[in-house]
Amino acid sequence: MTIFPENVSTYGQEIDNLFWLILVFAAIAFFISLFVLLYPLIKYSSKNGKRAEYITGEKRKHYKWITYALVALLLSDFVILYVEHDTWGNIESVPAISKNDVHVGIIARQWNWIFVYPGPDGVLGTRDDVVIDSMNSSLHVPINANVIFELRSTDVIHSFFLANARLKQDALPGRTVMRWFNITKPGKYDISCTQICGILHSKMRNYVLAETPEQYKHFTDSLYNANKVVTSSK
Amino acid sequence: MENLHQNKSFWSKYVFSTDHKTIGTQYMIMGMIMAGVGGYLAYVFRYNLAFPGKSIPFYGMLGPQAYNAFVTIHGMIMVFWVGMPVLLSALGNYLIPIMIGSDDMAFPTVNMLSFWIFAVSALVLIASFFVPGGAFGGGWTMYPPFSAQGYVNHNPNFFTALFSGTSLLILAVALELVAMLMGGINFLVTTINKRAKGMTPWRIPVIIWFINIAAVIFMFSVGPLVAGAFMLLFDNVLGTGFYDPHRGGDPMLWEHLFWFFGHPEVYVLLLPSLGVLAEIVPVFSRKPLFAYKTVIYLALLSAFLSVLVWAHHQFVAGIDPRMATFFSIGTILISIPFAGIFLSYMATLWGGSIRMKLPMLWAIGFIGLFLVGGLTGLFLGSNTFDIYAHDTYFVVAHFHYTLFPDIFFGFFAAFYYWFPKFTGKELNAKLGKWHFWLTFIFFNGVFFLLFFNGLAGQHRRINDYSSFSLISREPYQTFEQIATVCAIGLMLSQFIFLYNFITSFRKGKKAVKNPWESTTLEWQSDSPPPHGNFNPYPEVHRGAYDYSLPEAKEDFTPQNVPNVN
Repeated sequence: MTIFPENVSTYGQEIDNLFWLILVFAAIAFFISLFVLLYPLIKYSSKNGKRAEYITGEKRKHYKWITYALVALLLSDFVILYVEHDTWGNIESVPAISKNDVHVGIIARQWNWIFVYPGPDGVLGTRDDVVIDSMNSSLHVPINANVIFELRSTDVIHSFFLANARLKQDALPGRTVMRWFNITKPGKYDISCTQICGILHSKMRNYVLAETPEQYKHFTDSLYNANKVVTSSK
Repeated sequence: MENLHQNKSFWSKYVFSTDHKTIGTQYMIMGMIMAGVGGYLAYVFRYNLAFPGKSIPFYGMLGPQAYNAFVTIHGMIMVFWVGMPVLLSALGNYLIPIMIGSDDMAFPTVNMLSFWIFAVSALVLIASFFVPGGAFGGGWTMYPPFSAQGYVNHNPNFFTALFSGTSLLILAVALELVAMLMGGINFLVTTINKRAKGMTPWRIPVIIWFINIAAVIFMFSVGPLVAGAFMLLFDNVLGTGFYDPHRGGDPMLWEHLFWFFGHPEVYVLLLPSLGVLAEIVPVFSRKPLFAYKTVIYLALLSAFLSVLVWAHHQFVAGIDPRMATFFSIGTILISIPFAGIFLSYMATLWGGSIRMKLPMLWAIGFIGLFLVGGLTGLFLGSNTFDIYAHDTYFVVAHFHYTLFPDIFFGFFAAFYYWFPKFTGKELNAKLGKWHFWLTFIFFNGVFFLLFFNGLAGQHRRINDYSSFSLISREPYQTFEQIATVCAIGLMLSQFIFLYNFITSFRKGKKAVKNPWESTTLEWQSDSPPPHGNFNPYPEVHRGAYDYSLPEAKEDFTPQNVPNVN
C-alpha cells in the first residue's frame, strides 16, 4: 500500500515531496508537544505530595522556551512556504503554448465532462473545433506533451480533479480558467468532480486517456475525419 | 432582588425565563438535542459509506439526494446549532455574570429573545426536511449557482421558492446569526458594565475574555454573510442574479462573503473552548495560568488575523495565484497565537501538583487531539499541497480533529467541571471516565484512518465510490467500515453521559460549594447559585489564578479574599 495514488505527471512528484517535508516538521512538532503535554502528568502528579511552584510565566527565564518554540514553528512554516513557492507558480501559471503542446477545452456540466478538441488547425476557439459530449468518451491526450486546457462550467460550480497528476481546479460558471498538465506514462486516469454539484455528483466521472503520440495522432485523425461536417463550439 | 423573582409560574421560571442560568440551560439542552439530530444524520450517511446500497437500520435506503442533504445539514447543525449555542451561548450565559460577580446579564429580556429566535431557527432548519424536494443538498458552504436555482426551478411561484429546502436553510442560518448577535452584544455590554467592584480588566478570568473576543470576531465577520445570505435568498425567491453568471452575477462573490465569515467562525468556536481549558488547567495543576496577559494578547492578535485568512478555502477556486501566497502567509501567522496559547497551557502543567480529575482528563484529551488537527493544518495551509488535498477526506479528517475536540471535548470538560456548581450535585466519576475513554478511542477510530483515504485521493460528499477506481479498492473501503463502526460506538458512548447526567442530576451526592478548590468567583457562591447569584455581592481583590501563592497557607486564594494572612 502506498500513501498516494501513482504519480504520472511532471510536477506531481514535487507535491508528494512537499508532503513528506511537511510531515517531517509536523512529526517532530507532534512528538515534542506530546512529551511536553504528557510527561508533567507523571512527573508533577499531586500523588507525589509536593506543593506546586508559583510560576506566573512572566519572567524571561520561564517564557523563553515558548518563544523558542514559536520561532521554530514560524521558521519551519516559512521554509515550507519557500520550498513550495516555485511548485505553486509552476502549476498555477500556464506555459506559453508551443507547437508540440495540446490545447483543449474542458467544459463541466451536470453531470459529465465535455471535451473540446481544437480541430485540424490546432487552435481552440475556431470553427473546426470538435466537441465530444458523451459519458463514454475520455479525454485523449499524448504523453510527454504539455496539455493546456481551458476549464469552464455551463451551470454550477464543479471541480476538475486528476488525482494521478495531483491537479485540482474549480470550474466556475462565467469564468474560463487556464491550467495545464503533462502526463509521462500511458494509461487511463480518473477525472472526478470534487465540488458537490447535485444529485449525480457521485457519478460525475470520466477519464484522461494518455496515449503515445502515434496513438494520439491516430485518434485525432479519425476524430477529425468523422467530423468533416464542421462543428462549432462557440 | 431576591423577592422579585420568587413565586414565579412554571412558564416564567423555566420557559420564558430571563435568568441567565436558565437561559444557559435552555441553550445547552437545545444544543444537545441538535447534536442528537446531527449525530443521527452522520450515522445514516456513514453507514451508507461503509455499506453502500444496503438498507440502513433505523432509516432505510439512502438515495443520493438525501445523502447530499444529510451531509449538508450535518455540517450546518454541528457548527451553527451545536457549537455556537453550546460553546458561545450556554457558556457565555452561565459564566459571564457569575464570574465577573454580577447578578445577571445587562439585557435579560434581549437574552430571552435571543434564545427563542434561536429555537425558531432550529425549527425552520428541521422543517426544511419536510418541504417538497427535501432539505438543501449542496454542501454547508452553499455555493451558488447550485444554491441559487430556486427561482429558475420554481419560476414564477414565489411561495414555492420561499418554502424550498434552500430558502428555508438560508432563513434558518440568518435567524440563528441574529440570535447569536443579540447574545454577543449582551455579553460585551455585561462584561464592560456589570463587573463587581475590583474586577479590573486584568483580573477577569481568561474564559470571559475569550468569549468576549469571540463575540467581537463574530460581529466583525457576520455582517457580510447576513447581507450575502439575503442576496442569495433574493436570487432564489425574487429572481435577482447576484451569484448567477447567466443573470450577470458571480459565484465567487458568495465564496468570499461566505468564507470572510466562515473562517473567523472557526475561531468564534475555538476561543470559548480554549477559555474552558484556561480555567481547568490551572485549577487541576494548582498553579497560576502561565503568562496570563500574553495569552489574552495572543487571542486579540488572533482575532485581528482571523479576518485575513479566509481565501485559504479558495486556493483552487480560480482566485489569482498571486493572492494565494498572501493568504498562505496569513494562515501561517495565525497558527502562531494559537500555538502560543496551547504552549502556555502546557507550560502551566510543569512544576504543578497535578490532579487528574475528570475535567482535567477532558482538557488533556482536547489538547492531544487538537495537536493532530492543528499540525495537519500545516499541510492544508500550504497552498501547493492544497491543490491535491482540497476537498478530500484529508480535509474532512483535519477539521474533525479540530472541531470535535473543540466542540465536544471543550463542552464535556466544561460540563464535568461546572456541573457541581450549577446543579449542586456531584457526577459519577467512574461513568465519566468510561465516557471519556470510549469517546477518545472511538473518535480516533473514526477519523485517523480517513487521513489515508484522503491522501489516496478520496474526494468528499460522494455517496457511492464505485465509479472511482482509485477509491473503490482495499484497504480504503475497510477503512470506511472501521470508521463507521467507531462512529456508531462514539454515538452509543454518549448514552453513558446522558445516563450520568440524568441520574446525577436527580439523585447525585450533594456537592460542596467549591469542590475543585478554585479561585474564581462562581465557586464562592452557593451550589447551585440562587437567582441573583451572590448575597452579599463580592469585592475582587486579586487576579483569577492565585494558586499556590508562596505566602498563603492554602494552595488557592479566591479572588474575593483581601489578605492572604
